[in-house]
Amino acid sequence: MGQYFTDSWKKCLFGWGLFLLFVPALAQTPVTVTGRVTDETGQLLPGVTVLVKSSSEANRTNGTTTAADGSFRISVPSANATLVVSYVGYLSQEIAMNNRSVLEVSLVPGDKTLSEVVVVGYGTQEKKDLTGAIATVGARDIQRLPVSGFDQALKGQVAGLQITNTSGAPGGNTSILVRGISSITGGNDPLFVIDGFPVNNSGVGNPLNTINPNDIESIDVLKDASATAIYGSRGSNGVIIITTKKGKSGKTRYEINAYTGFQELAKKVPLMNAQEYAAWVTEARNASYLDNVVGANVADPNSKRAISYQIPVAFQDPSKLTTTDWQEAIFRKAPIRSYQLSASGGTDNLRYALSGGYFNQQGIIINSGLERYTFRANLDGKLSPKLNVGINLAPSYTKQNDVIAEGHYGAFGILSSAQSMPPYLPIYNADGTYASYVNATEGQPAIANPVQIANEYLIRPSQFRLLGNVYADYSILSDLRLRVTMGTDLNYSKNRTWSPNTINPSNPSTATSSNAENNSWLNENTLSYKKQFGLHGVDAVVGFTSQRSYSNSITATANNFPDNLVPNINGGTVTSGGEGIQIYTLQSFLARVNYVFNDKYLLTGTIRRDGSSRFGTDNRWGTFPSASVGWRLSEESFMKGQQLVTDLKLRASYGFTGNNAIGNYRAIGQLSSVRYVVGETLVSGLSRSSFTNPDLGWETTRQLDLGLDFSLLNSRVSVTADYYRKVNTDMLFTIQTPSVTGITSAVVNLGKVENKGVELSLSSRNLVGALKWNTNVNITFNRNKVLQMSNDAERILSASGGRPAYAVTQVGFPIGSFYGRRFLGIFQTEQEAKEYKPQPNAHAGDVKWKDIDGNGIIDANDREVIGSPFPKYYFGFNNSFTYKNVSLDIMTSGNVGQQVYNNSFYLNNSGVQNNAKYVYDNRYVSPEQPGNGLFGRAIRGGKNDNTQYSSVYLFDASFLRIRNVTLAYALPGTLINRLHLSSVRVYATATNLYTFTKYPGYDPETNISGDNLTSFGLDFGAYPQARTITFGLNLSF
Amino acid sequence: MKTTLFSLVLTACLFSSCSDISLDQVPITERSEVNFYKTNADFYNAVLGVYGTFKNGGIIGQGSGSYQFMTELVSDDTDSGQARGGIAAELYYFEDFNFSLASTTISTAWGGHYLGIARANSILDRLPAASIPQVSKDRFEGEAKFMRAWFYFNLVRFFGDVQLVTSEITSPYGANSLPRSPAADVYKQIIADLQVAETKLPATIPTAEAGRASSWAAKTLLGKVYLTQKQFDAAATKLKEVIDGNAYSLLPKYADVFPATTSYAANKEYILAVQYKSGLLGQGTEPGQTGQGSDMWSNWAAVNSGVALLGAGGGIGGGFNRPTVDMVAAYEAGDLRKDASVATSYKATNGTTVNERYVVKFRQQGALNGDSDVDFPILRYADVLLMYGEALNELGRTTDGLTYLNQVRKRAGLADKTGLSQADFRLAIEQERRVEFAFEGHRWFDLVRTGRFVPVMQAKAYKVQPFHSLYLIPQREMDLNKTLTQNPGY
Repeated sequence: MGQYFTDSWKKCLFGWGLFLLFVPALAQTPVTVTGRVTDETGQLLPGVTVLVKSSSEANRTNGTTTAADGSFRISVPSANATLVVSYVGYLSQEIAMNNRSVLEVSLVPGDKTLSEVVVVGYGTQEKKDLTGAIATVGARDIQRLPVSGFDQALKGQVAGLQITNTSGAPGGNTSILVRGISSITGGNDPLFVIDGFPVNNSGVGNPLNTINPNDIESIDVLKDASATAIYGSRGSNGVIIITTKKGKSGKTRYEINAYTGFQELAKKVPLMNAQEYAAWVTEARNASYLDNVVGANVADPNSKRAISYQIPVAFQDPSKLTTTDWQEAIFRKAPIRSYQLSASGGTDNLRYALSGGYFNQQGIIINSGLERYTFRANLDGKLSPKLNVGINLAPSYTKQNDVIAEGHYGAFGILSSAQSMPPYLPIYNADGTYASYVNATEGQPAIANPVQIANEYLIRPSQFRLLGNVYADYSILSDLRLRVTMGTDLNYSKNRTWSPNTINPSNPSTATSSNAENNSWLNENTLSYKKQFGLHGVDAVVGFTSQRSYSNSITATANNFPDNLVPNINGGTVTSGGEGIQIYTLQSFLARVNYVFNDKYLLTGTIRRDGSSRFGTDNRWGTFPSASVGWRLSEESFMKGQQLVTDLKLRASYGFTGNNAIGNYRAIGQLSSVRYVVGETLVSGLSRSSFTNPDLGWETTRQLDLGLDFSLLNSRVSVTADYYRKVNTDMLFTIQTPSVTGITSAVVNLGKVENKGVELSLSSRNLVGALKWNTNVNITFNRNKVLQMSNDAERILSASGGRPAYAVTQVGFPIGSFYGRRFLGIFQTEQEAKEYKPQPNAHAGDVKWKDIDGNGIIDANDREVIGSPFPKYYFGFNNSFTYKNVSLDIMTSGNVGQQVYNNSFYLNNSGVQNNAKYVYDNRYVSPEQPGNGLFGRAIRGGKNDNTQYSSVYLFDASFLRIRNVTLAYALPGTLINRLHLSSVRVYATATNLYTFTKYPGYDPETNISGDNLTSFGLDFGAYPQARTITFGLNLSF
Repeated sequence: MKTTLFSLVLTACLFSSCSDISLDQVPITERSEVNFYKTNADFYNAVLGVYGTFKNGGIIGQGSGSYQFMTELVSDDTDSGQARGGIAAELYYFEDFNFSLASTTISTAWGGHYLGIARANSILDRLPAASIPQVSKDRFEGEAKFMRAWFYFNLVRFFGDVQLVTSEITSPYGANSLPRSPAADVYKQIIADLQVAETKLPATIPTAEAGRASSWAAKTLLGKVYLTQKQFDAAATKLKEVIDGNAYSLLPKYADVFPATTSYAANKEYILAVQYKSGLLGQGTEPGQTGQGSDMWSNWAAVNSGVALLGAGGGIGGGFNRPTVDMVAAYEAGDLRKDASVATSYKATNGTTVNERYVVKFRQQGALNGDSDVDFPILRYADVLLMYGEALNELGRTTDGLTYLNQVRKRAGLADKTGLSQADFRLAIEQERRVEFAFEGHRWFDLVRTGRFVPVMQAKAYKVQPFHSLYLIPQREMDLNKTLTQNPGY
């Protein structure tokens, strides 16, 4: 038995089993009702939800959907039951049966949002009763995009949710921020809750890839403290709740969802041809020869020059050179396809939703791709009128072929290599071997062949993940329910890499193997109570939960390969390796009360108390309360009788949440070994290397939210607006400590970061006739500012991608602001260069920097905040048009005001490997040919060192992206009926169709900084996002 | 109703049965404090951690730590063979007596010594309650106190008043307002620690344990502390105990004391030394430590001499601590120690002679860069003799003192000194110590101790001022603790 599955857990399971067995089932007297649903024009509506109204949460799923002809058949508990008929975009209706068994229902378009059920932590609420800031995204909006994970589909759809692709590779990671960056050194990921289970972000690649977007029913984004405080010490970064599809009773409904298509590079970066390259390199080498060598003359032959100043022989007659398109060589048109088959349905007592899916996405860089198998079984059973049980199981297997797209060519970054390879080299030599530039004889740096890297450097992660939970829901009294849940998240992942010495003989062959197991167990027990007392409505929940996470990883690295016959660790000698085990536990008590008076005044209070093994022994339990109020003005008598405002609600909330992403065991002092020699023998001693900090705890966020929801003109227009101010305090922070302690730094809780902003979302049904036109717009303005660190002068410098520090975190500025020299321009004349004293080595065409400290020299002290990688605002603008059976959806999204540090231009401006045509065309040549004023003269290793990072390398990366265009056609009902089908929809999509931007690189959005938000916004050969065209089919019967 | 009750009871049972969701989780695959300081082996490992601090770059490091710069480079013994600028900036602080508050040499010296003290304190706090054999307990206590005394003795001589801490500081904020204690109190603590150490440490260290401190080491250091404190009577008594103990003697040939070929255990003259061993590259654990070998030779060999002096793979030659012309001239004619200590030229690989002074004392030909086996002496018997002689002279027994001075001179091939006045004897001892202990980290301490630092250096046109008898308090520590005061003059 593994560590994680101890005897006590077995007891828990056993007890739960007993619970199921001993609760007796009661008899029932069902009545069958049939009917038909139409819209206001009399058109039959398929897919309308018909539910039996019940106070019991579990019974909500007792329902069905209308068939293609708008008909339904449902079994209800008694002849005077009430049915709830709802459909997206229409007003829900509650219809008392009053002993009728046949119903004709006509739905009128209305505000879909008001009666919509929103999933909140440990329960659900109707949208009209909400007092917190929660946004809901439905299945349709998630599944429209052909992507591996729902995170990529959410982009641009929710105000306050900023999603950035940190890699455009298949299965590539995203950075997800809810209302800005709260933490400097702790985690910033929101908490993901899948069918009630808070999951860890573990495994290889993007963990969200393990969930098939097609299985998702809805996603709720919890943003303010009122909504997230119920998740206590994990709520600070927001909570994203994913609810998967459940079965509804009725005839089995089969669905086939399939699409196939291709992806391609959306934008090629123009590179120099061989002749331009030759001219550039010649110019650069001559310039540096003159700059560095006294008495040098451009006319000097190679024999007089050191190797780095020599003009390569091949360039003496550039007209003979041919040009290789290295981008063409590494990019390809790559197929993508997805198939899913699902079945759902059931009886009143047993409902099911089953699905199996296959997803295959090849990458636009050769030899990269992702393949995924997903399965899901959601079963819900009613053992008695009082007892409901259910089980959700979702196994998935994901396999990736990764390539090193990003990073320096010296570390085999494919994009850097492709942009730096001399264009006159062929891809293959005449004998079919890879042309190589690793033994460059012309004083050039070694650059490996990018095609060879992509084909031979293997990175093969894969993972198996099982998400599962079982629940029992028992109605103790008619209004009091007990729910017990047991859940698990089992995650087994591995990775194998192989880097053969054929790519560059001076990099010996290396292989690594790693296997990891991450599992998490959760038990939740909640009591909920819901009752209406006259005008007073009460909905309360209390609970106790406990969670235990275990992770184990083993890695081994092998070197000293005698040959490349066995491309894994067995082929060489294992030279390093290790095992890491971590356990983390969390126990919590939680409570929430919602109180509604007369449908007008809303009040919600929540509290959670979390105890965590991560916290120090003196600070083990944290309490996180929140309170919120709402006022539905539209229900007031003075608002009655007017037609303009359909609904109007004011909201306010304040509360405390925590961020426990501080790492495991951080409160416990570590020991490090101190080796010495005694008796001529190596001995290993130990000494304390970090403080035991019994006070170490969570980061605390205090958040105020003021919100307004209103809808106008019979809900044709609805708007949600929120202002928020979030202050994160007691951050996980590394401080310097006096040396007398024996330790020079310590991790403590310290500092303050503020995020404040405004979120607006608007949805409007512009046209509602035969031609329907809906618009959804959302926009978010967020301002991030560090308010306090250990002292005001402190600067945390940071970098990603192995670059020298380019970002700073300091008081008064946003986290991770760009930090470096201030570019003042290009010296246009020798005179101008000579007159600028701080740069004595400068000549015409060199870069001019600001002498920030004014001391007359330019050095490391002449750096300041020069930009921000985070947008001033970001938005989504989505429109859908429907005419009869044809629909057209256009989604656009954009970011405005952020900058990207384009480090590929750093390489390309140094005169060593200079392939970007953009730089070539805009460089300084002479006062008469000054270029665009941003790029200096071509020079390699000039004394002024123009390659120094400065504000000139920051590019405005604002963009407007046509994220998705979908054109769909639903086959008419008559035809479908003849085929005995329920519905058939065919569609074509174009994703990332076009991006409007001034950014000269592949993609203004993609950057390689990963989750490292303190050094965000670096483009150093990032894997670009593809343009994807797909054709799909949804078929149900 | 019955069912309801039943399920409630069952739920309650569920809560309690899941008790292994304990919030007390400790690291499983990393070493942590949680289960340390329990067994004999734990304490032994902790003691090794204290010895390992010798190799911290702020102390001896790999042979060219802060200690060497702060005791030799700052004196008239050595200068920098490196040209100004670049990596030599730190060296020239000491050459020019123009110190920077940000000097890493000085701040790592402060930090390195306190690291050792903290390591010793962690042991001493926990020893009383430990269930380990008394004999181990005594020895560990003796070693921890001996080492703590040595660290404090350096600190008090470098910095004057320093923070006096004798137990572990457990809170990150625990030293934020800890002031400097008077030097007299620090000396009291040093003497108290050494008095315990001399009784609890064994007199004999088996070969397999060579490198650990003996009671003789404690007595020698105690003698040195007394001498520094001008308690000449106590010093004489303690040093005489070491001489009469007959555990140590001068090796017949001075040149045999230092090379790698003389094994530590067999070196009757070394009372305590930092042990270096080659072939363990990658096994260094202190910051900047590449292995367990010494880089003294590669860093002190003539600057850029490369293969000529260091052999293939031996490094480029740092010239960090170059003997001054004055130092080379300090040897009397016929002094056998001169050629064993300094050289003034070498043959380049192309056969030409390069005139450049360099230290040969810790030379190990053929050692890979930074990986020589040559040990560095902390306490050696010649020091005992010269200190004893000095103490006797100060007690008015000048003639008795000459016996011990002349023992050292005799081995160096020099004639006995006779008929010196007390004042002349002082100068003779100063000279003898300079050449006997050249490059071993004594010169600055000796000159400051005898009050001769300022006149001797000023006479040789160094820009020395009286306040240079103490180093500055590193800016980093001043920033983190507002109660710390800077030494005068800085």
